[in-house]
Amino acid sequence: QDSSVVNKFQQKYWKTKQTLIKVTGKKEDEHVVSSDADLDAKLEVFHSIQRTCMELLKVIEQYQRRICFLSQEENELGRFLRSQGSQDKTRAGKIMQATGKALCFSSQQRLALRKPLCRLYQEVETFRYRAISDTWLTVNRMEQSRTEYRGALLWMKDVSQELDPDTQKQMEKFRKVQVQVRTTKTAFDKLKDDVCQKVDLLGASRCNLLSHVLTTYQQIPESSQVFLTITTCCIF
Amino acid sequence: MAYAYLFKYIIIGDTVGKSCLLLQFTDKRFQPVHDLTIVEFGARMITIDGKQIKLQIWDTAGQESFRSITRSYYRGAAGALLVYDITRDTFNHLTTWLEDARQHSNSNMVIMLIGNKDLESRREVKKEEGEAFAREHGLIFMETSAKTASNVEEAFINTAKEIYEKIQEGVFDINNEANGIKIGPQHPTTNSTLSGSQGGQQAGGGCC
Repeated sequence: QDSSVVNKFQQKYWKTKQTLIKVTGKKEDEHVVSSDADLDAKLEVFHSIQRTCMELLKVIEQYQRRICFLSQEENELGRFLRSQGSQDKTRAGKIMQATGKALCFSSQQRLALRKPLCRLYQEVETFRYRAISDTWLTVNRMEQSRTEYRGALLWMKDVSQELDPDTQKQMEKFRKVQVQVRTTKTAFDKLKDDVCQKVDLLGASRCNLLSHVLTTYQQIPESSQVFLTITTCCIF
Repeated sequence: MAYAYLFKYIIIGDTVGKSCLLLQFTDKRFQPVHDLTIVEFGARMITIDGKQIKLQIWDTAGQESFRSITRSYYRGAAGALLVYDITRDTFNHLTTWLEDARQHSNSNMVIMLIGNKDLESRREVKKEEGEAFAREHGLIFMETSAKTASNVEEAFINTAKEIYEKIQEGVFDINNEANGIKIGPQHPTTNSTLSGSQGGQQAGGGCC
């Protein structure tokens, strides 16, 4: 490939032009855009994974905090009922004591939820730091190369305007640009494949991670819920 | 090489073996695997009515991302070969290609519809369908095979004949290069109707 200063300068010029088109949101060539439709759909999936992972982390944190509060309140209410129940010698006092006991137990059970939740938080966070950021790097590299490729296409379109294959000088210039389009296309196509594969893998591995980690979580609330229902039924 | 006329052709259509068709016509050989075409050029001399005619052929990209670039090549084409593939459903895209061609070229451009490839067993588009489409849109139609070279010569030459006839009828203004026709450097323009064919021959001979 031609590596003269002029050529490099021209490459930079068209790349910059494309960057400008992109950042200013000017309308791009519809055919070029639609030929990347599959890639853009994958990027959409990637951004959704990125966004929902962030949200999930926030929600887990809040959920955990609320569980703590709830457990505390539950525990206090239980202790209150128990102490009041012990002073009341009627049947109502007995019921109060039993309910208080159940509430204290339930508050402890509730805290047990925190462990699998912590685990989920850690796993999701690791996933975000490793898998998502790795894919993100590839996406960035792909976007760089996409800009270069689209810049080369702009250049090619420009030299195509007044092309005459019987003019040696024009053809030389044309061939040079053609090489540039080919090279950037090859690089872009490879990264495009990489991105699509990585996003597919990312989606699949997140599904895997969630279904795996959530199994332990799902077992706990059931047992605590069941316990609470049984005790309440017994009492009332 | 000297010529009486130069006709600019453009080959368009999906990824259907356009480059194979061109290679068969210019080099008389078949090469099944090609690099991705962006635009390639071919040229060959043919003789019509005793005149040497140079066909300058622009072979374009079928891939969608090059569509806008391809459009700038229509300008100044006298003939277009619109190629589809009889084994695949590229037939459905013909309307889009035709619209594109009509929109970006001069109205007199001769368009030849070509159903390419000879894998009869994998045929999905009947010859009659191609014929009907051509009739409906006023195109010339032919089925070719770049592999066996069947009808390849004819496709290019018949298109040239059609253009040549249009010149004779005065439909094409040959002095306007936007029509995709150039008059050869030694062509006697003054008495072309009388000794045109002979003049063309001399021009061809003089060069070689």
